Amino acid sequence: MHVIVATDGSPQSLAAARHLKSFADPQKITTISVVAVIRPLASVAFADEISEAEPPGPGEGAGSFRDAAQGAVDAVAAVFDDWGPSIDKQIRSGSPAAEIIKLANQHDAGLVVVAAGGRGISDAILVGSTAQRVQHYAPCPVLVVRPAPRTRKGAQPKV
Amino acid sequence: MAHTDTPTVDDEDSGLRRSITGKQLFFYTLGDVLGSGIYVLIGLVAAAVGGAFWIAFAIGVTIAAITGAAYAELVTKYPQAAGAALYINKAFGSTALTFMTTVSFLAASFAATGSLATGFSSYFATVWDGPPALLVSLVFLLALVVVNFIGITESVVMNMLMTFVEVAGLLIVMGIGIWYIAQGDADFGVLTDISVSGNPALAVLAGIAFSFFAMTGFENTANVAEETIDPHRAFPRSLVGGMVVAGIVYVLVSVAAALTVPVDQLAGSDAALLEVVKQGILPFSTDFMTTLFSIIALIAITNTTLVTVVTQPRILYGMAKEDVVPGVFAKIHATRRSPWVGLLFSGVVVAALLLVGHFFQTGGGIDLVNRLALVTVVLLLAIYALVIVACLKLRGRDEDERTFRANTPLLIVGLVGNLAILGFSIYDDPSSLIWCAGLLAVGVVLFLVEYAVGSRNRPQGSRRGDPKTADRKEV
Repeated sequence: MHVIVATDGSPQSLAAARHLKSFADPQKITTISVVAVIRPLASVAFADEISEAEPPGPGEGAGSFRDAAQGAVDAVAAVFDDWGPSIDKQIRSGSPAAEIIKLANQHDAGLVVVAAGGRGISDAILVGSTAQRVQHYAPCPVLVVRPAPRTRKGAQPKV
Repeated sequence: MAHTDTPTVDDEDSGLRRSITGKQLFFYTLGDVLGSGIYVLIGLVAAAVGGAFWIAFAIGVTIAAITGAAYAELVTKYPQAAGAALYINKAFGSTALTFMTTVSFLAASFAATGSLATGFSSYFATVWDGPPALLVSLVFLLALVVVNFIGITESVVMNMLMTFVEVAGLLIVMGIGIWYIAQGDADFGVLTDISVSGNPALAVLAGIAFSFFAMTGFENTANVAEETIDPHRAFPRSLVGGMVVAGIVYVLVSVAAALTVPVDQLAGSDAALLEVVKQGILPFSTDFMTTLFSIIALIAITNTTLVTVVTQPRILYGMAKEDVVPGVFAKIHATRRSPWVGLLFSGVVVAALLLVGHFFQTGGGIDLVNRLALVTVVLLLAIYALVIVACLKLRGRDEDERTFRANTPLLIVGLVGNLAILGFSIYDDPSSLIWCAGLLAVGVVLFLVEYAVGSRNRPQGSRRGDPKTADRKEV
């Protein structure tokens, strides 16, 4: 089975990857594709909050969202080091939901793993999040990892 | 060890896909450049020069397009979103200069947003003259901030559609001009009329300074440089191409406006291009055309303002990441993945500008917002001149055979042009220097706040931006 693990650079997406590892059987997974999608026209095209990359000095290319995406993909892929399945890293750009679904179709994926953003009022009012769209249109089962309650202050939820 | 996937996948699947095509970039540039100036500023340029104001537009856009070529060269070398600040840092290696560049850009962007929001309310009043202009501007601003927060701005298709509408509006103005000429009513004498007392060359120079503002916005295209397919070929073509097309449109539109509307009337109007439509030259109902054109103008201004509102939090985010402003500006919303603190800050600053400007003006003062917008041109001109110098200075570094090379004599012409406008702007209005100093002082305050607050979580004795202190941030 081919599994797609999506990351938006958030701690939740790292938690989602760990969650997959916590219960899935590595024998049954052939390949894991870790994908990050850059949104070129967004204010911040990609924000990496999980890798331990050194922040750039003043004026030194903090503008490279490709580097940020690469950092996040590497950080999530590192979760599956020594686990068994082969790992494939992808960076794409465009609409996150559309790109994740496209990738799932291309690889004939058996599972897509995404993190749902925050809990609370913003989640209820502002429809159209990536996780929702992926759930609706993915060609395969989707694992949506919700953040654990009371870990919203930026702390990494323990899985 | 995890074994990596064997590279059996095709090119499309290599994991490095980019999404912005050359054509999309062209429309992005066009939409970004067109809306800002022509709808809002044409009256001011007409007032400065007289009937010959199209000359000012022609020269202004030429110098801007040359600057665009320098940008294109630098972008193909360093395809990152940081833009001018990055190039100036690479060329001069001075932290203070880099910081001031960024702050100047931010200030210019805030002022431009304020000016555009005011322009929006002027055109809005012609559709529905109910709510007070200040309220319209503020609601407009709030709507853009919300839209940006949710992420609606990210639609490439939407961007292209809005640009098409913008161009359609300007085609209407040109159509009116052609119709007028075809009727034989046109008096071409007005096109050479420089009706200002005093030195005509200075009058044209004043017009150029205004029209230059109309071309700003092109530097925002560096934002999407990283995601452009085949950037070495697509970027120079799309950026310079978009600017040249915008420039031609500007000149034609200003010729049409000068022919059809008395210059005094253009100069006195808040919504100057609407005056062209209101002349009733085309054989359609004037009321219908006026409403249609107002709506087009509103869309055009919205398109440009959206891009400026997208850019401000991005600049703040980059600065926070580099630890030159407080780290709170890099805060990303958990669900929407937008830099909500930076966005909120931008919204509040522009709203404050609009409010202060409004009460200042009703209290008998000057038109603060437009004043600021024009003052920031001085800052931008200085930056553009620096970018051209940076471009020349970085020749021979980080180059490969695919790097786009702008024509050197042309760059020098552009540099001289930028400096001439800069010199004139200061000569014409020395008080603008005080305004610029004020804006830069705000930047210095930001810097000092970070210095006071940020130094607590930095190890003793380490320098700002020191890579060794990378672990100070808990990520």
